[in-house]
Amino acid sequence: MEQGRVLIFPAVPWKIESVENGSNDSRLLLDLYDREQTPLKRYLAMLGVDPETARDIVQESFLKLHEHLLGGGDQGNLRAWLYRVVHNSARNKQMSFGARNTGRIDDLTPAASPVAKDQSAEERLLEQEREQRVRAAMQKLSEAQRACLVLRTQGMKYREIAESLDLSVSTVGENVQRGLERLRELL
Amino acid sequence: MKCERMNWDLLVRAVDKELSSSEAEWVPAHIAACPECRRECEAIENVSLRIEAAVNRSAVLENSADREFLVAHVTQQHRVKPIRHAPEKVMRRFGWGMAIAATLALGIIVAPRQKPPRTDGAPTEQAMGTVSNAIEVDGETFVALPYSNPDLPASAPRIVQMQVPLSSLADIGIALEPVANEVLNQDRTVLADVLLGADGQPLGVHVVSWE
Repeated sequence: MEQGRVLIFPAVPWKIESVENGSNDSRLLLDLYDREQTPLKRYLAMLGVDPETARDIVQESFLKLHEHLLGGGDQGNLRAWLYRVVHNSARNKQMSFGARNTGRIDDLTPAASPVAKDQSAEERLLEQEREQRVRAAMQKLSEAQRACLVLRTQGMKYREIAESLDLSVSTVGENVQRGLERLRELL
Repeated sequence: MKCERMNWDLLVRAVDKELSSSEAEWVPAHIAACPECRRECEAIENVSLRIEAAVNRSAVLENSADREFLVAHVTQQHRVKPIRHAPEKVMRRFGWGMAIAATLALGIIVAPRQKPPRTDGAPTEQAMGTVSNAIEVDGETFVALPYSNPDLPASAPRIVQMQVPLSSLADIGIALEPVANEVLNQDRTVLADVLLGADGQPLGVHVVSWE
């Protein structure tokens, strides 16, 4: 017999989309990690989560994202998805995002960051104090106002912030406006 | 706000470029023409910059081990990801090509023993000739698919574990069950490791469980 039944299948190599997608998922995941893990930690820090816990939450969130991608989950706006998961994870750890937290924002040592070459030690100190005042003032905002303002600094549009925080776009707008107004009074 | 035509809400949304189309028709033009509103916008931008600076210098823990852990996790998951949690989704993602490949290999293994020949039995013999070839990867033996060459080393192979529905066998004319049970067992699946080459082509299959 020239041809068995099993050989009726294409001899041309098949394009196995699953594996290619899997590789794409991995690349997508790591790209997102490289781009977003630090902003996510900053977001949590501004919500009053201590750095060690923030690191754990972010790591767990990327593992969840991997599961999400493997399960064929929506890839529409993974950045918003990540912020939502991070936000909810922090909440699930029963963090109040406020002054009751052990990792108070004004207790945190500012991260080392590039300093302008012509900036003197005194200028750097003044700048750090100004930033500390802003962090302290932000603690006086509501959690929603703070979250919206922080996500706004990450370049998110109101629609994306709304998606991240499960709020309406108009509520995001109100939080941004009231938060800015309050900060302007405090600073 | 001293300007009677404007309010804080509109100014913030103007700065954030979140105006509606009707608002965008007049608000930017008004701001450009109104010194008071321009000053307000500058104040909003100033506060925004201060927030941004405070956020971007928040203390965070960076550790390269975290990324390495994630990479290792992703690699491990790709190798042994238990598709059994959601076989329907996985089947969608993997496509019927993979399902047929795995089913074909299963057919090669099982059909000669369980399926009585319908015609002259020659196809089964041909298949058995292919089965005699095996690919060894990481201590696991895979039945080579008909078109794969087991004499060639599998470069950068990957192993994907998946559920293969028995019903797909019916589509290709190979029954793993007695004919009388085919309808009843259409939803049944078997778990198999599928060896994939660097190009994603299935090279071989190893049935993990057959219940």
